Amino acid sequence: MSNLYRSVFDIIGPIMIGPSSSHTAGAVAIGRAANDLFGGIPERVIVHYYGSFAKTHRGHGTDYAIAAGVLGFDASDPRVSNSRQIAREQGIDIRFVEESGESPIHHPNTAVLDLIGGDKRVQISGCSIGGGTIEIRNIRLHGIDIKPTGPLSIILYVTTNTERDNGISLIEDLNRLAPFDKKQVLKNNEYTIYEFDLKQQLQEGIRGFFVNKYENIICL
Amino acid sequence: MYASIEELVSDATIKNLPISELVIQAECNDMNVSRNNVWRKMKHNLDTMRLAVSRGAHGIGVHSKTGLTGGDAVKIKDYRKSHKTLSGDMIMSAVQSAIATNEVNAAMGVICATPTAGSSGTLPGVLFTLEKRLGLDEEQMVRFLFTAGGFGMVIANNACIAGATGGCQAEVGSASGMGAAAAVEVAGGTPKQSANAMAIAISNLLGLVCDPIAGLVEVPCINRNAIGSSNALISADMALAGCESMIPADEVISAMDKVGKNMPESLRETGIGGLAGTPTGQEIRMRIFGKNL
Repeated sequence: MSNLYRSVFDIIGPIMIGPSSSHTAGAVAIGRAANDLFGGIPERVIVHYYGSFAKTHRGHGTDYAIAAGVLGFDASDPRVSNSRQIAREQGIDIRFVEESGESPIHHPNTAVLDLIGGDKRVQISGCSIGGGTIEIRNIRLHGIDIKPTGPLSIILYVTTNTERDNGISLIEDLNRLAPFDKKQVLKNNEYTIYEFDLKQQLQEGIRGFFVNKYENIICL
Repeated sequence: MYASIEELVSDATIKNLPISELVIQAECNDMNVSRNNVWRKMKHNLDTMRLAVSRGAHGIGVHSKTGLTGGDAVKIKDYRKSHKTLSGDMIMSAVQSAIATNEVNAAMGVICATPTAGSSGTLPGVLFTLEKRLGLDEEQMVRFLFTAGGFGMVIANNACIAGATGGCQAEVGSASGMGAAAAVEVAGGTPKQSANAMAIAISNLLGLVCDPIAGLVEVPCINRNAIGSSNALISADMALAGCESMIPADEVISAMDKVGKNMPESLRETGIGGLAGTPTGQEIRMRIFGKNL
């Protein structure tokens, strides 16, 4: 048994704009995660589709769903179906590529997003597993590849190696407020990134606490 | 969270509580939220479903942007008024609500995914028909959704609910099983009868492929929800009559998972095989997207 669906509202819900929970609502969620990871709206986005996403994205409105998420909209936002036009008006360049190969994260509903703005470049690989629930299976941030396990919520804590921040204070707060199943520490020459897979979905109030207290935290 | 239907049924039997109650308690504990909050959220889902059901059958109905579908819920509503239906008014009322919801979904309207958008009509078809038939109040209707969701969580965590991974059996099949189990509870049946109803309903739709024309959640998705709702009501009635599923509910779920994994990719939401692959299906795809596969 997996425990990918943890809440009854993963099954009864979400409330959303049609037509597909996996290809529309799930795609909005992948776009939202990309927005959260980037820390706002990027200038350029290249979306690579694999499997069923590559074959049916046009019929399912997956393009406007991803664009809506990148702009920070919810799946039930009435602007979802106009999001591509809204993005164009804001001067954001979003392109979609139908990839023919195997999904790099091994799921038929895969979207890999490259987000570019200034000299910042991040990549997020998500899959939509059904009913609007998604998994983020790979993140590339500051040139470091991170492989979270399980569904959202995921917390990333980014420190530069000169800061010598060992993340102890954050870990204490997480243990107290948002317990995690798994922790990973990933490094390159410049950065150390701590990644936490939380046991439960992060509640809004608690998310606010972490975002206010820690400057370099990313909550997905 | 419950790992199996067996665990859910035995816990309900030992504690002498309805499954809806166990699901509410598990949600409060697992997600660390108040009962009030959980109840309000489900009530909001119920209200959203009711709006879609009424919007789809109102006036001239709703129509999708592609022009492929729409207006059938209104046709059924009018037919019910003017004719003696063959399958009975209760079944046709379920069909109307199911189709209304999925027509709203296809027209990019607001729906509640149960468990998915493509299968979002199945539960409302059952629920709003039973509202009239059994005179359900709001509390019973909210409980119906918790019971359905509890069964759905076990299905989703032990098999799947996405057409791209398991075919339509995983979407409309799962929704139909959830609806059947919840229908039994609101009708006063036992948790064991709910499990039997779910097992019968999913068994009846085992092997159903996901073959949307042009990859759109329109044909045959909308009509399949009519079958999902009717099948749920029939399966619930059979379980309430004392009929049992020969194969236990958990084994049916695992069979569905295996059937889904053995399904060729062309029949898992790729718009390639099944009805999507017929000459007419391909012609429609060409007309809408100007692209052949």
